[in-house]
Amino acid sequence: MSLFGTTSGFGTSGTSMFGSTSTDNHNPMKDIEVTSSPDDSIGCLSFSPPTLPGNFLIAGSWANDVRCWEVQDSGQTIPKAQQMHTGPVLDVCWSDDGSKVFTASCDKTAKMWDLNSNQAIQIAQHDSPVKTIHWIKAPNYSCVMTGSWDKTLKFWDTRSSNPMMVLQLPERCYCADVIYPMAVVATAERGLIVYQLENQPSEFRRIESPLKHQHRCVAIFKDKQNKPTGFALGSIEGRVAIHYINPPNPAKDNFTFKCHRSNGTNTSAPQDIYAVNGIAFHPVHGTLATVGSDGRFSFWDKDARTKLKTSEQLDQPISACCFNHNGNIFAYASSYDWSKGHEFYNPQKKNYIFLRNAAEELKPRNKK
Amino acid sequence: MTICQFFLQGRCRFGDRCWNEHPGAGGAGGGRQQQPSGSNRRGWNPSSQRYSSVIQPSSFSKSTPWGGSRDQEKPSFSSDSGASTSRNRGFGLSQNPFASPSSDEQKDEKKLLEGIIKDMEVWESSGQWMFSVYSPVKKKPNISGFTDISPEELRLEYHNYLTSNNLQSYLNSLQQLINQWRNRVNELKNLNTSANIASLSDVKGGVNQAAATFGFGSMQGITFGPPGFPVHNSSSANAQNFSFKPSSGFASAASGSPSVFGNTPAFGAAPPASSAITTSTPTFGFGKPAITSAASFSFKSPAASSFGSPGFSGFPAPMAAGSVGAPAFGSGTSVAGFGNLGSHSHSAFSKSSSDTFGNSSISTSLPVSNGSITTDNVLFTPKDQLTAEELEQFQSKKFTLGKIPLKPPPVELLNI
Repeated sequence: MSLFGTTSGFGTSGTSMFGSTSTDNHNPMKDIEVTSSPDDSIGCLSFSPPTLPGNFLIAGSWANDVRCWEVQDSGQTIPKAQQMHTGPVLDVCWSDDGSKVFTASCDKTAKMWDLNSNQAIQIAQHDSPVKTIHWIKAPNYSCVMTGSWDKTLKFWDTRSSNPMMVLQLPERCYCADVIYPMAVVATAERGLIVYQLENQPSEFRRIESPLKHQHRCVAIFKDKQNKPTGFALGSIEGRVAIHYINPPNPAKDNFTFKCHRSNGTNTSAPQDIYAVNGIAFHPVHGTLATVGSDGRFSFWDKDARTKLKTSEQLDQPISACCFNHNGNIFAYASSYDWSKGHEFYNPQKKNYIFLRNAAEELKPRNKK
Repeated sequence: MTICQFFLQGRCRFGDRCWNEHPGAGGAGGGRQQQPSGSNRRGWNPSSQRYSSVIQPSSFSKSTPWGGSRDQEKPSFSSDSGASTSRNRGFGLSQNPFASPSSDEQKDEKKLLEGIIKDMEVWESSGQWMFSVYSPVKKKPNISGFTDISPEELRLEYHNYLTSNNLQSYLNSLQQLINQWRNRVNELKNLNTSANIASLSDVKGGVNQAAATFGFGSMQGITFGPPGFPVHNSSSANAQNFSFKPSSGFASAASGSPSVFGNTPAFGAAPPASSAITTSTPTFGFGKPAITSAASFSFKSPAASSFGSPGFSGFPAPMAAGSVGAPAFGSGTSVAGFGNLGSHSHSAFSKSSSDTFGNSSISTSLPVSNGSITTDNVLFTPKDQLTAEELEQFQSKKFTLGKIPLKPPPVELLNI
């Protein structure tokens, strides 16, 4: 399988006018830029599942659009198609067979986009913006799970306009992740609920939050047997909690670590603390990547409890991240995440999606 | 990592296990990235971490109110070094001949408060997202006074306002949210003992109480509604009155609005009772004379909010101004109307016990309004709400056992 090759050759792929990057810092890591990136902040990224040959990237943005690119092994990105919502798109996900893309938007609906026919139909309705959307593939059922700010979690069979099931959340849904048979939803007011999806989705446990501030992102990780065993939860306070569902020794196994802060080791000066905007686990190595409002991404090894790498600082926050199905590509989006309010919003500023070769950098620190 | 004071003195009882750094000995072990792993290698035990970070001399200067008491504590710790091998400082305290059980609790409380103060300072100086709930200890419920707004929700609001050309009201409401946050942070930074107890009840007093407060402060149909604003401004004056003493609050309400309970003097006569009410079930009594002048306080949404916060006397004035800070300003739907009501309630009280009405589920508040005729609600029952039997009981010289009314007597029958 051909690799991306060295990134230096592709620093200016596509858009040649960005060749001279002497003063601006939009791509300090010299990663590959995706062509025709969205015009407004990118809220979510998702790569195609392994069932689809090749790599396709979907990005939802605050410009109300969802775009699809084909990412070739050479690093070239080819825009393929685009769909629109009537409100900003907050989350996207793929179906397991790679034929459909599900998009969740602030227009309180979720749509199913059939890539072959390039048609999108509405499959879900909420009373408030839909914040998360995930595809669940169980042996005896398949459905779309949508979490919304209307404090409900709804499960949809895409053929019917009525939800298969509605579960009440204690508060607005802020983030969620699904790896069958486990689902985790983090809500406002530091709510945290784990669901088990076997047979039918049901609440498994409500967990007291290991973090002291607002939840921002969550990602499930798997154990050596490829079963979901815990999750990583990120907050606005530059901290990530690693939490196992049934650890042998909870006090020792669960921990939190600080990240995305400035002057990390110098404890006397006040730190700048940034929100963790996204967490993604490498599908093969089990190491994780975090992206934050400080415009950096970091790779971590949660088992060795060490940091593997931190990037240079980009000039914009990194708002979303994603690994492709085999972990060779790490995609991250550089766009304003509203972490400093409207004053720092510049509609003219370009938004980027970068692709990085992730095969080597995310290897765990200690080989077993 | 923080330097271990005891190690420097040559008497650290944890030795290798010590969570603080032993200079010289700890440097070699810190070869790996310290940033994430060093602080959490043993997990993040909040109370112990607080201890280690707080015992340092530098933090003495920050928390000067505690400086004196801490100096007394230090010797008592060290005297235990032989006795206790447990790393849990709590155990050490309990074996301390100088410490009584109640002072253990006090010390825990102090640690907690120091933790809160430190967190507030960090929150302010670090530039982190301000619209977030906060809890001083991981597993505990949220402290009241903070709302959870995600950046996406705020941004959506901004865009909605932009499209409706109403940016100024967005900016106004945002400013009020910010003010509210700042006030709350300052309050928590300046915790003194009387306020401690009040705020600690937030933390200790049960799960989800504080969480519920702002539940409906959510962006449900949040519109930062312009109609809400002028109304709020006019009612903020009333809110100021409300937030101090309930009795005075009642007086002002009664004068302005068609109070259900009619007689102003009745409330004037009841200050002792009212203060009792604020501490026990503060939520119920004050909702009724709610400001009907403010459209936001629709009687239909029965969310009574407690305006009394005895512990925070300095609180309500800025709160009143910032009272509209809570996010749910939408006035269109019933939920939103509820939200408007709640915005006052958010700011006016800080105790978690009072936030049952902040609860977003309207179903919980409805029983309140229906059951408002219970004794808890009001000081006196209007005559027309009493049955004939009860009226008879009140009018007789003595109560008959078995027929004692459950409701308080009507005001008219009192002879004072």
